[in-house]
Amino acid sequence: MRTVLFLLLAMLTPGHALAANQVALDNAVFVERVSTDAQGKQKILLEEPKVVVPGDRLVFVLNYRNAGAQPADKFVITNPMPSAVRFADAGDTRPFVSVDGGKQWGLLADLSVPMEGGSRRAAQPADVTHVRWAFQKPIPVGGTGNLMFRGVVK
Amino acid sequence: MMIAPVGGAKHRLLPSYSLIALLAAFALPVQAKAAGTRAGSTISNTASASFDTGGGTTTIDSNRVDLLVDELLDVTVDSSNPADVPTTPGATGQLLTFSVTNNGNGVEAFGLTTIANAGGDNYDPAVTQIHLDNGDGLFDAGTDTLYTPGANDPSLNPDQSITVFVLATTPGTVVDGNRGVVSLLAAAKTGTGDPGDSFAGQGEGGGDAVVGSTGADGQDAGAFIVSAATVTLVKSAVVTNSLGTTDPVPGATITYTIVATVAGSGSVSGLAITDNIPADTSYVPSSITLGGSGLSDAADADAGDYNGTRINVALGTVAGGQTRTVTFRTTID
Repeated sequence: MRTVLFLLLAMLTPGHALAANQVALDNAVFVERVSTDAQGKQKILLEEPKVVVPGDRLVFVLNYRNAGAQPADKFVITNPMPSAVRFADAGDTRPFVSVDGGKQWGLLADLSVPMEGGSRRAAQPADVTHVRWAFQKPIPVGGTGNLMFRGVVK
Repeated sequence: MMIAPVGGAKHRLLPSYSLIALLAAFALPVQAKAAGTRAGSTISNTASASFDTGGGTTTIDSNRVDLLVDELLDVTVDSSNPADVPTTPGATGQLLTFSVTNNGNGVEAFGLTTIANAGGDNYDPAVTQIHLDNGDGLFDAGTDTLYTPGANDPSLNPDQSITVFVLATTPGTVVDGNRGVVSLLAAAKTGTGDPGDSFAGQGEGGGDAVVGSTGADGQDAGAFIVSAATVTLVKSAVVTNSLGTTDPVPGATITYTIVATVAGSGSVSGLAITDNIPADTSYVPSSITLGGSGLSDAADADAGDYNGTRINVALGTVAGGQTRTVTFRTTID
């Protein structure tokens, strides 16, 4: 098996250091592949995205770190969806999403999109244009963590 | 802008095993139906973070990750003939129509081949030519391009289809009801294989070419059905004379009846019944009938005529299961 990268490795990836404020946000993308072994058991692996084709599932991992001397309050991470990627899910990270290009935000279940004729339908994962996480508490000095979401290459 | 903080996002390390377990809970990748993102395009992702460390809101960007989209090789072939195409024994230029669609995400050329001897039918149509449609969907040997493998393999854009015409000859030995199947195969010129096989650097836009769920080749079958008809003629004669007997004495009248029976699922065209007037008899003028109705002796608008030596009745096209009855009379000299 070629270059199987588990998330642990992703988390150890050195942060994207920015000296000015000492808060770093690092972005990594993996391809989620399913392999079936001889016993028919399925294994899901995260691989480096060496080959990416339509239909592939991508896992976006965002690592953040507060390497500064002050807690980082009102911490908000925003990730616009690449246009060629259809949002799938964000695991259990419960992000806010936008389905209108970043104008309005909410949990996906609470959002709707307009249809022709003036009515609205419930928003689907495919409608998501932005993903956003807002933190209730400040990131303490030295605090780190990560967030993830999945998308499918259109 | 923010409505409320999100409860689930806490700054904690997500243990790797829990994420792996989480991944396992989700469904298998789903293949995109349409061709999808064009091969060679780049997927770029950048996230941003905003926060306040005491001196007002600061916004930073993450690193940018660029992914090159590789070429997916996928093709489907569909028969455009909803039902078996009727043919007749020995017929040439018999037409089957197919549609070849590039389901991949890059421009790809496809090699075309046919299989006519796969079995499961009654005979093997002899494929003579493959033509590439000029875009109107109708076969015309004058305007559609004759396909030569390797020379003019059709190159299709993502999601583009081309209509392909397969011409075949029906063997003369087939009989009514026989079925002959021809499959058209299309295979990506870059390569075929098992889904996931890849051809390094051979994709459009500089990436790899990856075999998709179709195996980068596809095929579908079309079929001919032989629709033939056979004609059986039965001739009978009845003699009447002035004696009230059936003896063929001079002056007796012979009424000939010819019944043409067409059998089979097809039809016969240009069917005509001709019968010479026997020696030592004389034709009774205006005695030809077809289906009980009289016909004139002249070669005119009606189907029958008498030219001095024979009668002729033109029946035209008669479908299987029908009969035609012709009568005429002569007198014994």
